[in-house]
This record gives sequence, C-alpha cells and structure tokens, in this order.
Amino acid sequence: MRASFGVWICALVALPMLAVLARAADGGLSGAWEAITRPAALHALGLSFGLSLLVVGIDLIFGLATAWALVRWDFPGRRLVSALVDLPFAVPTLVAGILLVVMLGPQSTLGGALAGVGIDVIYAWPGMILALCFVTLPFVVRAVEPVLEELDPAEEEAARTLGAGEALIVRQVLLPPLLPALAVGAGQSFARAIGEFGAMAVLSGNVPRETLVGSVYVLGEVEAGDSVEAAAVSVVLLVVSIIAQLVVSRVNQPWGRE
Amino acid sequence: MTPRHRTKPQGFGLVVTAAAILWVVGLVGVPLGALLLAVGAEPAQVVSELVQQGGLDALGRSIVLAVFAVIVGGVTGTLGGIVLARQRFWGRAVLDVAVDLPLAVSPVIVGLAFVILYGRGGWLEPLATALGVKVLFATPGLFLATAFVCLPFFVREVALVLEEVGTSEEDAARTLGASEWQVFVWVTLPQLRGALRVGTLLTVARALGEFGAVLVLGGAIEGRTQTATTFVHTMMEERHDAGAFGMSLILAAMTVLLVQALPTGARTKH
Amino acid sequence: MRLHAVSKSVTLSVLLGLLTACSGDADPDAPVTRKLVIGAYTTPREAMNEALLPKFKEAWQAKTGEIVEFETSFQASGSQARAIAGGFEADVAWLSLEPDVQTLVDAGLITRDWRATPTKGIVSSSVVVIGVRPGNPKGVADWADLGKPGIEVLTPNVRTSGGAMWNVLGVVGAARRGHVGADTSEAHAEAVLASVLKNVRVMDKGARDSMISFEKGIGDAIISYENELVVAALAGQKLDTVIPKSTVVIENPAAVVDVYAERHGVTDLADAFVAFLTEPAQQATLAKYGLRPVVDGVPVANFPPLGDTFTAADLGGWGSLKTTVFDDGALYDRALTSAQGQAQ
Repeated sequence: MRASFGVWICALVALPMLAVLARAADGGLSGAWEAITRPAALHALGLSFGLSLLVVGIDLIFGLATAWALVRWDFPGRRLVSALVDLPFAVPTLVAGILLVVMLGPQSTLGGALAGVGIDVIYAWPGMILALCFVTLPFVVRAVEPVLEELDPAEEEAARTLGAGEALIVRQVLLPPLLPALAVGAGQSFARAIGEFGAMAVLSGNVPRETLVGSVYVLGEVEAGDSVEAAAVSVVLLVVSIIAQLVVSRVNQPWGRE
Repeated sequence: MTPRHRTKPQGFGLVVTAAAILWVVGLVGVPLGALLLAVGAEPAQVVSELVQQGGLDALGRSIVLAVFAVIVGGVTGTLGGIVLARQRFWGRAVLDVAVDLPLAVSPVIVGLAFVILYGRGGWLEPLATALGVKVLFATPGLFLATAFVCLPFFVREVALVLEEVGTSEEDAARTLGASEWQVFVWVTLPQLRGALRVGTLLTVARALGEFGAVLVLGGAIEGRTQTATTFVHTMMEERHDAGAFGMSLILAAMTVLLVQALPTGARTKH
Repeated sequence: MRLHAVSKSVTLSVLLGLLTACSGDADPDAPVTRKLVIGAYTTPREAMNEALLPKFKEAWQAKTGEIVEFETSFQASGSQARAIAGGFEADVAWLSLEPDVQTLVDAGLITRDWRATPTKGIVSSSVVVIGVRPGNPKGVADWADLGKPGIEVLTPNVRTSGGAMWNVLGVVGAARRGHVGADTSEAHAEAVLASVLKNVRVMDKGARDSMISFEKGIGDAIISYENELVVAALAGQKLDTVIPKSTVVIENPAAVVDVYAERHGVTDLADAFVAFLTEPAQQATLAKYGLRPVVDGVPVANFPPLGDTFTAADLGGWGSLKTTVFDDGALYDRALTSAQGQAQ
C-alpha cells in the first residue's frame, strides 16, 4: 500500500513533465529539432547557458570568499552579512527584478549615471547577470560554510609547521573537503539560474537573439500559441537543470542511501 | 575539533573580506534599502494604490494558495516522506529523483505543462470537463501549479528527520502492542514536529513567491486569478509603480520573516 | 520567542487572507448582480477603468436596475486572443486588430457575423506615430530617421503585440506608398524596416509595456499608437509626438464572444456593452484618451492633422498581409534577420 503511494507521487510529478515531452514530440523528432535549432531558440538557450555558467563562476569566487570571511574572521557587520545572505532565497524572484529596476533603472541616480557613460544595465546583459547573481547568491555560501566550520585549523597549522607552502596546503588540506561543497553550490546555482523567470521577465531586454533568455522565450512561444515550440525548448532547459540537480543529489549523499 | 576562534582579517584576508561585504551588501542590502526608500518616499500613494487596484484581493488569494499548499503538501509530503525513508521498494530511487523534480523546473515550464494537460486536447481536459472544473484562467489552475512547485519541501524534511531518528521508538511501540495507526499518531508525528514546521515555512514562502506558473496558467485576471506576484507585474504595467513597490515590499517582508524563522541549516537546502 | 511570533503572524495572515478572499454573502433582497468578463488589449486600460466601465454600470443600472460587475484583463492583443481561445471565458473581446478577432472566430467562439454593425465591428481608431523625448533632441521627423545610427527605437514584439504589427504596417505601408524615398518596391520597404529594427533594443510584449519602458528612460524614440502617447501625457509623462508624413490608420475591433456570453447568460449585457462603445458620448470619452472616433458627430478638433493615411485594406487586407509580411520567412522575418546581421 505504501509503495503504491510512492508510485502515486511519482505520477503526480511525472505527468506534467511527460505532457511537455509529448507535446514537444508532436511534430515528430524532426519537428522538435527544428524548433530547437531555430536561430532565436538556439540563441536563447545559448544565452541562458552562457549567463548561468558565468554567474556560477562569479558565485564560486565571491561565495567562497564570503563563506571564508564569515567562518574565519571577525569583522564589523558580520552578523548582518550572514543574515543578508539568506534573503535572496526567500524573496520572490520577480521582486528581485523590481529591486534592480528601482536601483539601477535609467531614472535612478546610479542607473542614470551609468547610462550617461554608455553602460546599459537594465534590459541588457549586465542587469541580467546581476539579477542571476542575486537569486543564486546563497547557494555556494551556505554549501561551503558547514565544511569550512568542520575544518580543523590544527591540520593547517600542522602542515604549515612542517614547512608546506600555501599552495600545497590549499591543494591537500583545504580543497578535498571543499570540492564537493563547491560542486553542490555550483549545481544548485546553475539549476536555479538556467530556469530563472521572474527576474528575467522584469528586466531582460527580450530582443530575440540578443537579450532573450530561454525561459522568457518559452513564455513568448506559449503566448504566441506555439506550444510545440515552447515544449521543445522547455525539454532542453529541463534536461540541463535536471542533470545539474542530479549532480547535487549524488554529491550530497542523499538520505536515501544505505 | 578546536573551537572556532575568529581573528581579524589581515592582508589578503582583508581584501577577501572587503570583497565579500561589497558583494553581499551591494547585491542584497542596497537594493532592499532602495525599495524601502522608494516606498517610504510616498507611503500614502502606496497604500491607496494597494487598496484601490485590488492589491488586498490579490494578497488574500496568494495567502489562500499558500494555506492550500501547506495542507496538501503537508499530507502528501508526510506520507511521501515516510514512504521514502522507511520503505524499500523497487523504484524507490526513482521516487527519490522525482520528488526533487519540481525544484529543477522553471516556473514558466510548470505553467506550460499544466496548460498542455488541461488545455484543448490535453490528456486531463476530459476529466476536468467531466468534473465541471475550469483549470485554465481560473483558480483551480492556480492551486495545481502552487501545489506542484511546493511538493518537495515537506517530503524532504520529513524523510530527513525520519532517517535521523530511526525506527527504534516506533518498533518499541509496536512491541508494546500499538497498532500502526497509533504508532503513526503517537510516535511518528511528534517526531516530525520540527520537520512539519520547516516544511510549512518553506512552502508558504515558495507559494507566496510563485510567479511564472500562475502567470501562464491563470492569466492574472483582476478579481479572479490575480495573485500578489502577478499584481506587482500588473501594477508595473499600469504605471502604478507605488503599488508595485508596496506589494514587493510586503512580499519581501513576509518571505524574509518566514525564512528567518528557519533553523540555519534548513534555509538553502530548500 | 521569534518562532512563536512568526507562527502567530502566519496564523493571523491566514485568517485575514481567508476573510479577504471570501466574497460576501448574498442578500436575497439586494438587486440582481451580473458579471461581465472583458478581455482587451493593453491600451484601453485607463479609458475603461476610469470612464467607460463606471458609465456603463450607471447607465445599465438606471435602465434595468441590475448591478453590473466587471472582470477585466488587459494584455497584448495576440496573447489576449489566444488566452480567450485557450479557455479564458471573456464575454466581450476588444482587441487591437481584426486578425486577433478572427482567431476567436476560427476557434468557434464567435458565431455571429461580428462585422455586421454600422461601424463594421470597429469601435476605436488611432494612428501609428513616433514618440520622442521633449524637444526632440535627436531630430526625428519621419520613418527614415529611425533608421539612422545612434538612435534607439522601441517597438513591441509582433508575435504577441497587435500594436507591434500596426507599427510594422505603418513603416512598410509608408515606404510602399512612396513616402520614404521614391522607391515603392517591397525590397525597399524591407530595407527601411530592417534599418529601423536594427535600432531596436527592447521588444516588449505589448504596446503598454513598450510605453512604460520608454517612460523609464529606455530608448530615444518609440513607435506606438497615438492614443498610447496621449494617455502617457495625461499621466504626466513628458514626451513629444511626431506624426510621420504617411502612416497607417489603426482600427480596433470589439465583438461579443457568443459561446461564453451564452454560457454565462449575459448575451444581452455583452451586446449592450459593445453597442455602448460606439455611442457618440462614449466615443467622445474615448477621444479624451486619444482614441479617434469611428462615428460621426464627435468633435475631433483636438487631434493633430494627419498627412497621408492608409488602412490595412489599402495595403491588401489582413489576409494577404499576414502571408506577405508576418508569416515565418515573410517580410518582417527577413527584415529582422538582416537587421541583426548588420547589428553585430
């Protein structure tokens, strides 16, 4: 009986996804391929992918720095910074977009100044990257923090007194436990960024083949009545983010393991 | 493990710390501050637009959706978590992955999926028509979408706790002659109190913030399928910036409060 | 304890939410209340909310004693048409262009001949114009200027926005009628359109979204409905209007969605509303919001004079225009592709 409930939940989740898959294949595999390789679709997917990778890179650097600073050092405002780190996860992503428009839109002082020197932020890649960084900010930080806290500084001290250089310490002592955590943070950030819609709906430029990302492209197709094209591109986005999610699950040692 | 002893950053450490502070405060703190300033600059306008443009109705709808998601998610999540943690059956690994699926799906794709399922020619359209339920552009669609995106939270929290506490208490109760139902109500459920609390907080926060799926499925019809998030979107379109910022601030405040109430580890495990 | 406080406030919010979300009880002695669902394109938002809906409610109550409540949706015309076809049960559809109403006919939702009215189903009109910053700093005088380097242009996405399609017709039609250079060939029109599209930075979903972007400081010029600019000016926005030498006359249709109106039992109400829109008094109200009247006897003194104007019919009618201009691989598609080829 209980097992059948498990099957029931699988069905609840799988059915909508299967429906998308089925609709994508409505025009046959060639139809789906054509829909995906259309210039606007291809560019939108590529843009989502590229921006997400870039954002993960930024997250890894700054996230690691933030986790390090929070765990190892004492500085004024440490508690505030720690509290702020969690906020992007709570706040609806649409609101995140609004925040950036308020702060960097052309009518704001900062945005106006930037526009004056020819730097477009809102409706252009810089704004989109900032929004994605906002919504993915907590992941690397919170994934790395517990690992850093567990690290015994005595190990590093021991390595130092034995004459090991910083590089060696980083490689042998610090990196091994950190890598899985970084992978988890990166995977979660990537999965979130590639499917991001709310913030993108507010501040991406939506110009096909320039500032149109995958998720907003899908919306456009849905509103244009082209559900097959929408489904085809959705399948690509789904596959990519599911793979990222799987990476996270495997590394995370899920509670299902014996 | 030696207790964590924080030192003041120096040299390169200072650079790292400065970067971290700039990163977090600049990206999160300042924008939120800017929103507060924007709302604080014209509070009367904000309130009037919220009241007159249907903001209260939209917020009420979002809250109802959140309550629904908690009830549905709580029940299915608890049962599902028990199944996941306690049962060994073929396909369990599949369930493991399936439960996490809603987290990997872009909201607009969730909306698309339900439009395909319940729209013209959809697999479930005959069922909905037979039941006399309108899914697209009506509130049932909103409920479905919200329940879907909130599915993982309870399941994962419950399964996590059950894995940790093990079956010893439950087994003890069984040997004392308790029925399965009694075991469930008097032993298992109390163990799950914390998990249910975390699940509730995460679900409410997620339900309040859902935008893409409800936009696609509901159409943001004023007075019928307008939620707090689509209200923000509509306000921006109607040049009622004050109303948009006001509702954004309300949503930000509510969700931040909810997540702040979580134990630290639970927040980003989402 | 913080958690306790949060639990309390969550419970309170829930109760508040349930109270707010539940509608009041029906009073058996109260007058009959009927609901009319209207799906419209983005532009008539203000005219509807501020003037037309209240006036209709008043007039209907005076005539029948019934109270009318409205449910309204304003979104890009193409999207709205598809939403209605896809299940949004609107009783009345007021859209930007005829093809979008045709979508509803094709879906079997409009069963009558909706064009059989004195105004052929059209309830409002406008023209495509160019909006610029106060003082026209970039010196935009006509369509060709929009293609010059260094000018950022706003126009919405044709896949969702009716306004975008009108904009394209404005440019292409003017070129084909010889008002953008002497060449009236299709190739020349395509080139002109391409040069304009090259300068487009944001393609919003609908005409209103586009206007909002412009107001927020994006772009130097916006191609839009004249009435959209009028409404913006009424809202205090600062911009100037440039009327091109030749432009297209926008004709917006409205129709009763028979299937849904009958299902809701409001066919009489819907009929009355659509007829209401073309009454001279209402047309005069629409004129205040920048919509040019479609019936006689309405003062038009406040509208700026126009140069050469043409309609979709003059260009061959919507049927042929969809094939030659808006289909995949047709004029617009080719222009967009070549514009993006040049841009990089």
